[in-house]
Amino acid sequence: MRVLKLGLVQGVFGGILGWLFGFALVIGSRLLLGLPAQWNPNLTGLAAYEPAVVVAGIFFVVGFMIGVGAVSDWLKWARGIDTPFNHGARIPGTSELARYFNVDYSHKVIGIQYAITGVLLLGVGGTLAMIFRLQLAQPELNFVPPDVFNTMISAHGMIMIGGILLGVGGMSNYLVPLMIGANDMAFPRLNAFAYWINVPGALLLCVAMVIGGWNTGWTGYPPLSAQAPLGVQYFFLGVFFIGLSSILGSLNIIVTTMTMRSPGMSLFRMPVFVWSAFATAIIQLTATQFIGLSFLMVLVQRILGMGFFDPGGPVWSEVDKWAGGGNPILFQHMFWFYSHPAVYLFVLPGLGIISELLPVFARKPLFGYKWIAMSSMAIALVGFLVWAHHMFVSGMSNYLRVPFMMSTLLVAVPTGVKFFSWLGTLWGGRIEFKTPMLFALGAISVFLIGGLTGPPLGTVATDLNLTDTYYVVGHFHATMFGGFIFPFLAALYYWFPKATGRMYNERLGQLHFWLMTPAFWVMSLGQIFVGMHGMRRRIATYEVGLDIGTAQMMVTIAGFVIFISVLIMMFNLFVLARRGQRAGANPWRSRGLEWQVPSPMPEMTYPATPVVVGEPYDYGKPGSIYVQFAPAAPALHTGASITGGD
Amino acid sequence: MTAVAESYQVQTRRNRMGFWLFFLSESFLFGGLLVARYYLWGNTRPSMEDTVIGPLHISYQVIPLMITAVLLLSSFFMNRAEVAIANDDRKTFSRSILLTVLMGLIFLLGVLIFEWGWKTVDGQIVLGRHISPTDGVFGAVLYGMTGMHALHVVSGLVLLMLVWNLGRKGHFSPEKHWGVEATAIYWHYVDLVWVFFYPAIYLIGVGVHAAGH
Amino acid sequence: MDQGTHRRSYRRHFIIVSILVAIVAVISIVGLWAVPEFPSASTQAITVNWLFDLHLAVIGFLFALVMVFMLYILFVFRRRAGEEGDGDHFEGNTKLEIIWTVIPLIVVLSFGVIGAVTLRDVTAAQENEMTVNVTAFSFGWQFDYPEQGVEKATTLKLPVGRPVHFKLKSLDQDVIHSFYVAEFRVKQDLVPGVPTELRVTPNVEGAYRVRCNELCGTGHTNMLADVTVVSQADFDAWVAEQKAAVSPERLAAMGQELHASQGCIACHNVTGEPGGVGPTWKGLYGSERQFADGTSGVADEEYLRTSILASQERLVAGYAAVMPQNYADVLSDQQVAALIEYIKTLK
Ligand code: HEA
Ligand code: HEA
Ligand code: HEC
Ligand code: CUA
Ligand SMILES: [Cu+2]
Repeated sequence: MRVLKLGLVQGVFGGILGWLFGFALVIGSRLLLGLPAQWNPNLTGLAAYEPAVVVAGIFFVVGFMIGVGAVSDWLKWARGIDTPFNHGARIPGTSELARYFNVDYSHKVIGIQYAITGVLLLGVGGTLAMIFRLQLAQPELNFVPPDVFNTMISAHGMIMIGGILLGVGGMSNYLVPLMIGANDMAFPRLNAFAYWINVPGALLLCVAMVIGGWNTGWTGYPPLSAQAPLGVQYFFLGVFFIGLSSILGSLNIIVTTMTMRSPGMSLFRMPVFVWSAFATAIIQLTATQFIGLSFLMVLVQRILGMGFFDPGGPVWSEVDKWAGGGNPILFQHMFWFYSHPAVYLFVLPGLGIISELLPVFARKPLFGYKWIAMSSMAIALVGFLVWAHHMFVSGMSNYLRVPFMMSTLLVAVPTGVKFFSWLGTLWGGRIEFKTPMLFALGAISVFLIGGLTGPPLGTVATDLNLTDTYYVVGHFHATMFGGFIFPFLAALYYWFPKATGRMYNERLGQLHFWLMTPAFWVMSLGQIFVGMHGMRRRIATYEVGLDIGTAQMMVTIAGFVIFISVLIMMFNLFVLARRGQRAGANPWRSRGLEWQVPSPMPEMTYPATPVVVGEPYDYGKPGSIYVQFAPAAPALHTGASITGGD
Repeated sequence: MTAVAESYQVQTRRNRMGFWLFFLSESFLFGGLLVARYYLWGNTRPSMEDTVIGPLHISYQVIPLMITAVLLLSSFFMNRAEVAIANDDRKTFSRSILLTVLMGLIFLLGVLIFEWGWKTVDGQIVLGRHISPTDGVFGAVLYGMTGMHALHVVSGLVLLMLVWNLGRKGHFSPEKHWGVEATAIYWHYVDLVWVFFYPAIYLIGVGVHAAGH
Repeated sequence: MDQGTHRRSYRRHFIIVSILVAIVAVISIVGLWAVPEFPSASTQAITVNWLFDLHLAVIGFLFALVMVFMLYILFVFRRRAGEEGDGDHFEGNTKLEIIWTVIPLIVVLSFGVIGAVTLRDVTAAQENEMTVNVTAFSFGWQFDYPEQGVEKATTLKLPVGRPVHFKLKSLDQDVIHSFYVAEFRVKQDLVPGVPTELRVTPNVEGAYRVRCNELCGTGHTNMLADVTVVSQADFDAWVAEQKAAVSPERLAAMGQELHASQGCIACHNVTGEPGGVGPTWKGLYGSERQFADGTSGVADEEYLRTSILASQERLVAGYAAVMPQNYADVLSDQQVAALIEYIKTLK
């Protein structure tokens, strides 16, 4: 059976073995210590064995990673065995397709693995949304029971965000090396590891739904999460491992950008997407630790009784109140210290894509390149100082409200610079409306709604009204669609011919756009409207008396239209394009490095070293060249083995 | 199949940068624990019972101070090991690594046996001679901080043993010993973290006695 | 086209688009203001609405600015059939960049100042405040009026025009809830272990609802309490009624109301439908109960009392131990009695 040889399949096997091992380990040691196998006699089913289930979950990931082969090389190094670094199919004779189901070190394969896994996750999350949107279509529908509903919205939120993180990983892993003229990332093995650890992470998230679910939303606030059903533990673990992937992946991006640029590519000659990927990586590298830590703290509070967030914990003498019990608000600070910067990491790559595509399709230089590049850094850095705007009503110290309001509003400034510079880019162009361009323009319009609905949330007085209503839901769907989903789709269409050598069907692409964009407007404006008419977040149903049934129905219908339009895209890219027209090396007449080599690209993208001699976006300037290829390929250190490489 | 491999120097330069970024990231993890400590303990800290072993009466402050000193000293030997391998002095290398491991183990056991401690309750062995993880925020934060640090010490020890083993098999050379260098930086880093943790747990704030202990 | 004609046509386009932006901006601001507003009923709401309208004006303008500009450009500078060449070459304009950095900066800084002032208005203490202690628990609300001596009321009555100082708390073993009356426009979380507060001056008589606004579990959706803002005289009458002894006949009716207001309804139905989180109450009284530990017993009054106050002492077979354990802190003796009376009536 060839299928059984695939890394993915072996990984799942390894994972299951690991799970059983971990489970047996805890139960075994409990029995050895003379404790009953059941952890909590009041509970039934798996929940009675919670610590064992948690440890099993961790070993599931370990088993998966060993099974899939993501750590094989490192284990060899530990024993002093050299492993030559190879590009290309690992097992000679297997098909090209099989590479995507195995550990592969090529950043192009890894980028596509990331992107496809991301799309799959978006599909799962979207499907969940379709189910609970049915319940919300009319008031007082009850076919989804409250606990299932809570699990569904929580899973929708987290799985979608996981999908975004993978999508971002896909774009930066695929594009950054291409754009800076490198043949791979700085640490290809680490890159593969960082991708693969997402897979068991995502599986844990999905399993969490069936082992009891969890009812905390994607934010997982204790004390609720400390009392939630068992599923919350796999939610924590799943996020933890996806977060680990973020950290390792971003480290790789930073080193790659800093050390592997082509000769002549100074920082301000990098394509602007690289700047945004770099800013994103800084956020991912640092802030991610906080969500991991905060979830870990709730995890151990549940199984070891460590009362970080348990205000009812034993009280110590001679101390004020806080030294006795834990404080739930600490969790919110730690959670948002990651999760706010995280929302900017969702959008920065997307905004980078917009800035990348506009010049190509307007045939004009990017207006204010340095300003756009620097605004990404500004958004990333100011983004670290605004987290408590999610906590205006949380009960945190009141004096914190005003400074956080100020910092929050400040983010509008660098974001505005981007918007206005985009307009400057378009002005005076020869604008061509191909599908990728449409999605880039749609992204601007959608992100504008999302962005502009931000400041009313940022000023405290209005937030006291709006927080935790559907207004917020409308705000963040618009920012995330405009900042991530639309640009991601634009990127899929734009680089599709480069990656596959085939052209997608332009008509269907346009249809996708014209279905999705108006539907999205209806969806998010509808959400904002119902939010201002008394619709709270995260409720399974609402009263007839609120009189928002019509708007809710429109939101639901719009959601379905979006869903169908994405199906059209899948059909276009995965079915039709197999027989699509051959795309030349540079169908968009782009100046980018990667467009100067054939499509699909050779295994080593740049056999000859590209030398950067000009500006990246000098469209419309006769005779301007961005890149030249060194006449003779420099001798590669072929066959040289490296121990302790990455 | 094409092979790409950069020269050892180039790759090592990248490795170094990657490693420092990794530490930057880890600083946020440990920083988060410090934040939790200051948020939850404020200007207090748990003051624990003294250890009595037979006629010996040891203040609870003594053992943490001793093991901290041992850990700091171990960094010196780690450094000596790195210098040794750079000079191709395998004997000193081996010996210094083993000394580092020994001191790391002393530190680890110091935490496990004296700081965490074990006692018997109703015939069952449970964690926490002075204070247990379930003792409110004092227990939670104390075990959280020392536990996360201990996890790093353990992985450092594993790395040290691997490097020692490879060195024994003749794997490193004065020019190529990134493995040793990485382990050394890692070990120093874990040490450095403790330099921040030790005062946060044992020195800063007013010592408070546990009720009912 | 040479540079000169370009400049001129640029200037013309710029003038046209500026006029269009102005027109659309006015339309969208007026349009946004015309969207029907949710009713409001407190003096705080006036400030909040005012600030929100100000935001809407800025939003309407910026939306018109970016969208009209963009659509105009897309139309005017679109590639016409057969055109091959590139666009005009210019790489940026530092003066412009500075302008569109500084102006928004001024706007957001002003909003920061306005935001701080409105925040002070909305949260400032008032004279002659009436204190109401609010307790939230999974999944219900209780209101104590220390000044009037009314305890554990399950609906919120407020005299119109009198500033209210809510002192909010959630029980130590409970989770976070949030106190929100949409018509009052302000809300505040109730956090176990962290007392919080909120100030509202209701200014329109009417019936509203407290809706729990922070996800708190199974019963979050239905964690509601009725709010009525009434005249001072009606309020005084209500206080007197609350303090009068309750006749035994009214107990069952009170119990029925508690079933909904205290969140029992989240897990217990009274229709006999199977499949709820907890057992149905229909036919419960006097029936034979099977417990998880294998024993059994009859559901008499004493059993019901234990079940409510300490349900995990005898777990009904087939159900998980998820019923909140803090009703002893929450419910008064009278309320427990009322619930038992009510269950008795459910034959
Ligand atoms: C991609 C994600 C993304 C992005 C980019 C943003 C961008 C912004 N967000 Fe949003 N936000 C979320 C995702 C995002 N948000 C999510 C997921 C939540 C909910 C989390 C949860 O609870 O589940 C949330 C919640 C949220 C809250 C908390 C609401 C609450 O729960 O009470 C607040 C409060 O301040 C806020 C504010 C802002 C602001 C001010 C911006 C700004 O960055 C916007 C800046 C952009 C513009 C303003 C438009 C363009 C600018 C101009 C045209 C220039 C001129 C403008 C002016 C002068 C105003 N957001
Ligand atoms: C990227 C992020 C993202 C995306 C794309 C979406 C997409 C959608 N969301 Fe989501 N949403 C969130 C992130 C996102 N959401 C978050 C973070 C929350 C907060 C959760 C919380 O409160 O904790 C939330 C909450 C949320 C709520 C509020 C729930 C509540 O508070 O009770 C609602 C309600 O209307 C909603 C609706 C929708 C709808 C109708 C879509 C539609 O646009 C969906 C359309 C469908 C798709 C985009 C998928 C299409 C894919 C395919 C068709 C491929 C199928 C193929 C395969 C399976 C391979 N979402
Ligand atoms: C989160 C869910 C939940 C809520 C809220 C809840 N219960 Fe329960 N209740 C249960 C479950 C589950 C059981 C069965 C297991 C048990 O005995 O604890 C139960 C059992 C009972 C029983 C015993 C029923 C029997 O069949 O013998 C009574 C009486 C009861 N609850 C009363 C109440 C009252 C009164 C309230 C509100 C003030 C309430 N419950 C709120 C879940 C809940
Ligand atoms: Cu209480 Cu939601
Ligand atoms: Cu935010």
